[in-house]
Amino acid sequence: MQGITCIGLGKTYRGGIEAVSPLDLNFSSGRTTALIGPSGCGKSTLLRLIAGLEEPSVGDVRVLGQSPAEQRRRAGISVAFQDPSLLPWLTMQSNISLARKLARKPPDPARVARLIGLVGLGGFEKVRPAALSGGMRQRAAMARALASDPQVLLLDEPFGAVDELTRRQLARDLSPLWKSQGTTTLLVTHSVDEAIMLSDRIVVFSPRPARVVADLEVPYAAELGDGPEFRSLKDKVLTVLSASAAMAK
Amino acid sequence: MRTRDWLAVLLGPVLLLIGWQLLATGLEGKALLAGPVEVLHWLTQNIGLVARALGRTLGNAALGYLAGNLIAIVLTGIGILFPKLLGVIGGLALVLFCLPLIATGPILRSLMGQGEGPQITLAALAVSYTSLVTLLTGLRAVPSAWLDLVHVYGRKRFAELWFVRARAALPYLFAGLQIAAPAAFLGAMVGEFTGAERGLGVLTIRYIRALDVAALWGISVVATVVSIMAYAAVGMMARLVLHDLPPVVLLSSPASGRCGKGRFRDAVVLVVAVLLLWWGGIRLLGLNPFLAKGPLDVAAALTWSAEASESRAALFLAFRQSLGFALPGYLIGLGVGAGLAMLLVLVPAVVPLIMPIAVALRAVPIVTTAPVFVLFLGRGATGTITLVAVMVFFPALVACIHGLRQAPGQVLDVFDVYAAGPFRKLLYARIPAMLPALFAAARMSVPTAVLAVTVVEWLTTGRGLGSLMALSASTSNYRMLWSAVFLVTLFSVLSHAAVASLERHVLRIYAPEQVRQ
Repeated sequence: MQGITCIGLGKTYRGGIEAVSPLDLNFSSGRTTALIGPSGCGKSTLLRLIAGLEEPSVGDVRVLGQSPAEQRRRAGISVAFQDPSLLPWLTMQSNISLARKLARKPPDPARVARLIGLVGLGGFEKVRPAALSGGMRQRAAMARALASDPQVLLLDEPFGAVDELTRRQLARDLSPLWKSQGTTTLLVTHSVDEAIMLSDRIVVFSPRPARVVADLEVPYAAELGDGPEFRSLKDKVLTVLSASAAMAK
Repeated sequence: MRTRDWLAVLLGPVLLLIGWQLLATGLEGKALLAGPVEVLHWLTQNIGLVARALGRTLGNAALGYLAGNLIAIVLTGIGILFPKLLGVIGGLALVLFCLPLIATGPILRSLMGQGEGPQITLAALAVSYTSLVTLLTGLRAVPSAWLDLVHVYGRKRFAELWFVRARAALPYLFAGLQIAAPAAFLGAMVGEFTGAERGLGVLTIRYIRALDVAALWGISVVATVVSIMAYAAVGMMARLVLHDLPPVVLLSSPASGRCGKGRFRDAVVLVVAVLLLWWGGIRLLGLNPFLAKGPLDVAAALTWSAEASESRAALFLAFRQSLGFALPGYLIGLGVGAGLAMLLVLVPAVVPLIMPIAVALRAVPIVTTAPVFVLFLGRGATGTITLVAVMVFFPALVACIHGLRQAPGQVLDVFDVYAAGPFRKLLYARIPAMLPALFAAARMSVPTAVLAVTVVEWLTTGRGLGSLMALSASTSNYRMLWSAVFLVTLFSVLSHAAVASLERHVLRIYAPEQVRQ
């Protein structure tokens, strides 16, 4: 199965700031992988390289066997950004429907309505983003990312502004949606709990420039949360993160 | 607004009217100044004449307004879809903006003949650059995350423009349309100064010759009121459509994000494009070679023809005279505008009194009131320099007040924590925040100052480039006229570029986001 393949993929910005060290990584098709690491380590840059929003300085990336640009042309990729980036002049519902327009897919009001319900924004369809809270906007952005029915879903801290309870609820409600459709999902997060609950695999990065310091499978039992497998995996991830942060100092 | 707020807004204009009447009464017989009562009397007696002339001027201004804005919208769209063309499009628009309207008028008149063509063309020229730059600012002031959203789905520039940029730029479009409304009126009136048959500009020329003070003040008042109303009407339309006020736009240069090499390449392409359009335009339109002079004719007139040294001497003498009025007026206008803005921040209680008048008068094409200025202050340096200064003063004042308010609240909170007084806040936080606004006003005021000085010289003083152009037009010395247009345009463009270069250095420190590559 073709997933996302990074071959010696690296990014160095002008002025010599290296955001991502050349990486060789493969993300299997239909699985959810969490990318976790300290702030500013280059996780979001890696996501942008995979989405084709930035050109790599070295190496190559293949998304479902094609270049990111080709995959984007086929509307196969969707991204939920750190910043919800809702267009202020559109209602919440129109913002979500916009993804289908941009993806050149026929309107699907039923899917949009279902997503709005799943992210808990029923009743706010005609409200403009300015009248929504930060968490509500982020939920709308999440629904927008799912509205185009993508093959590859890139989530950049999608629940960052959402309170803990809602975050758990969203994880429970939304992840089956992309998992049942066989979407290849990459999730950038700071929350170890979220990474364990939502993903099948966790890749831990070092402080900038991003290098892989651990690559862990998530057993099904751990995904349920709060059990001994969950706590053991959480301790493991936190230990790796602390050790890599200490080495960087 | 509450009744008290309305009273505060009305107090300024009422005090202005009372002061004007007292001044007119006090100076009766000593200065050529008509008070509001005398002006009102003249207007009521000549209401039909003024209404007919106003109707003609407004008609021409409206057509020019439409044409100029359409051109600006189309060019901006092309620039956004093909960014490599942006530098040249912006440069060509700037060259057109820097053309001395007062000399372009007679040239257009000689090429287009009698009728309304020159007035409409001048109105279009007067609006196209500001509309283009304002719209461009809006189209580019889009968060990059919104564009990423479009790119993620594999869509390109057209989708960017259609789904995101066009709607995001609407407030800026309206801001441009608002600035353009009085500018179109100015263009039409300047066109009428230069040989039309009907319109307010024609009446102005007639009453200058007759030295009819009440009539000249009456026409200036009408031009002022109409300009303010046009400005306010577009503002109201914007509120209806956008449910908000249009933004105060600090006009960024179309090529502000380009690096040194890119700017040099754009400059070379621009020079070639201007020369080609100039030469090709005359050829393609089959214009009469006696009236229409190409780049080679101007080059010959200034370098290798038999009268070249005489022409050069006359041109540079006139240039020095004009510069002697324009430069002090420009600096005084900017300095007083920025100074008063700072004073207003230190004494905020007077802001509600002065701001409505300043905002209203910023909308007035002061050049249309040039004759009354010169009548009142005399034909010497004082009148001309004052007019240039006033022309530059109002946009600078409004921009600087806006800039002073841009100091971030959190930065001011830091000053408050240390109990810093208003003067320290002004010096360390507000003035740096104001600099981008001051430089934007300084850049845009360069062609304005040139226009002001040439109009006064054309109409009244008999000195400088304006007068030389008037003389050349009346004696059919088209080589000299085209040479003067070339020199004035070149000077305006180079001065604009020099201020823009200084502005870039300042912005790199005080507003780096505005000069991003």
